[in-house]
Amino acid sequence: MAKKIILPRVAKGKNLVYLDDNSVDNILAMVMTLTQEISVLTDRLNTIEHLIAKNGQIDLDDIDNFEPDYQLQEKRSERRKSLLKRVLLPIEKALDSK
Amino acid sequence: MNKQKHSMQPIPSHDEAVRQDFVTDFRAFLTDELYPKITPYYKSRIEPEFIKEHGRTPEDKMEVQNVMVQDSAYQSWSFLQRISQQMMFTSVIDTVERTLEDLIKKTKEYSTLGSLELDPAIQIPRYLTAYDIHQQPGGYHMENTKNDISAGVVYDISLPIYSNDAMGDENDLLAQATINFIKNNINTMPKKILDMGCYIGNSTLPYVRAFPESEVHGIDVAAPGLRYAHARANALNASVHFSQQNAESMSFESNTFDIVTSCLFLHETSHAAIPKIINECARILKPGGWMIHLDVYPFQRSVVEPLYDFLKDWEVTNNNEDFSGALREMDLQGIFEEAGFSKETIEFTSAEASSETNKGYTGDFYLKLPVYVAQKMA
Ligand SMILES: C[S@@+](CC[C@H](N)C(=O)[O-])C[C@H]1O[C@@H](n2cnc3c(N)ncnc32)[C@H](O)[C@@H]1O
Repeated sequence: MAKKIILPRVAKGKNLVYLDDNSVDNILAMVMTLTQEISVLTDRLNTIEHLIAKNGQIDLDDIDNFEPDYQLQEKRSERRKSLLKRVLLPIEKALDSK
Repeated sequence: MNKQKHSMQPIPSHDEAVRQDFVTDFRAFLTDELYPKITPYYKSRIEPEFIKEHGRTPEDKMEVQNVMVQDSAYQSWSFLQRISQQMMFTSVIDTVERTLEDLIKKTKEYSTLGSLELDPAIQIPRYLTAYDIHQQPGGYHMENTKNDISAGVVYDISLPIYSNDAMGDENDLLAQATINFIKNNINTMPKKILDMGCYIGNSTLPYVRAFPESEVHGIDVAAPGLRYAHARANALNASVHFSQQNAESMSFESNTFDIVTSCLFLHETSHAAIPKIINECARILKPGGWMIHLDVYPFQRSVVEPLYDFLKDWEVTNNNEDFSGALREMDLQGIFEEAGFSKETIEFTSAEASSETNKGYTGDFYLKLPVYVAQKMA
């Protein structure tokens, strides 16, 4: 078998510190990635629900071939934004003027 | 959800697709919900503190920067904005890595139209290797395998996420603006057109369509982009001649092009490169030919509010776009004149794209774009 190609996932550049130190920055980055994975799980579950509601069962290939229509995409987008709003509430509050 | 816009793009798996969708929504959340809070926050919380201490408001963007980077609320937004870009790349790289071998094989089928000329001996300029511009891991030029196209594919499929789908199915909204500008302001039927820093050709293809009689060329230093550009142009049925060249010194004959253009290119070069590139534009243009560069920042040194000035520079420090700030301080007018462009024709103005091509996006950022224009002396 040919050697697996691995693409780089980290950009070269200055290391900037935003919050108290790099470890606080790293934790926030990890929280956002976990939030992203919760969103992926929720969408996957939603796809499975739709497939079962329609076909009564699922074929694993159907998951990758599932294409949500415009309405469902909008609904998912709304749900992702409300997830983000809840996760990022402390930061949103900190930015409120009063 | 069909994310594949032409047959040289990969099809993401279910989870990859919704992972990418999350990044789109994350970025929209930052833009729509958090960013608008920054100015009122600054006015009510940061500026009064500054006044208390100094007896006056901040004078320039540096003074604003000094207080803002100490503020954890601002820094939280800024950090989230920065990592949203990193998450964009990691979420598309999964798809590209998984499908890369097949995509590279496919480039062979998609090679009949136009041409591709690579120069393995080319030196990649230091301003492209010192750090990865706008945080794309590996930059534009990195070769991860033989005949690599991965960096080009990553660029193509991350643009819709970056722009929240504002760029159109072929990522060509910006070039459409330049073409509108040419059609409305320059009376010419170009026979030969060059797009510099063309990369994947997303801003090159519209010229083939707008001027079907013309011969269209694209140059870039980065091979993974050009290989992909050629296959992509074939997948989209367009004939372009791509070659790997440095815009600072090109192999084209003098006095041969009617139009030399670029899109999002000048701000990613350097102080030393700019005059060389402009001289090359003048050399290869026919007398009376036109040069049109579209770039991100309006080129005028008007006095702006320090806070606005500071926020406008966000990408410079936080998204590895180091030169884009310095470009605005350069004397482009003088450099254009020196190169042989006629003084009266030099303009720093804007080009407008129509909103037909994007999903109802109406902000200036994608519809009204700075262009730097000049005509070579006849
Ligand atoms: C932001 S990309 C623009 C891609 C495309 N024109 C677009 O509109 O999306 C900038 C491109 O300029 C290329 N570039 C930078 N300096 C160059 C030089 N001196 N000669 C040729 N290409 C260069 C980079 O390799 C990169 O592909």
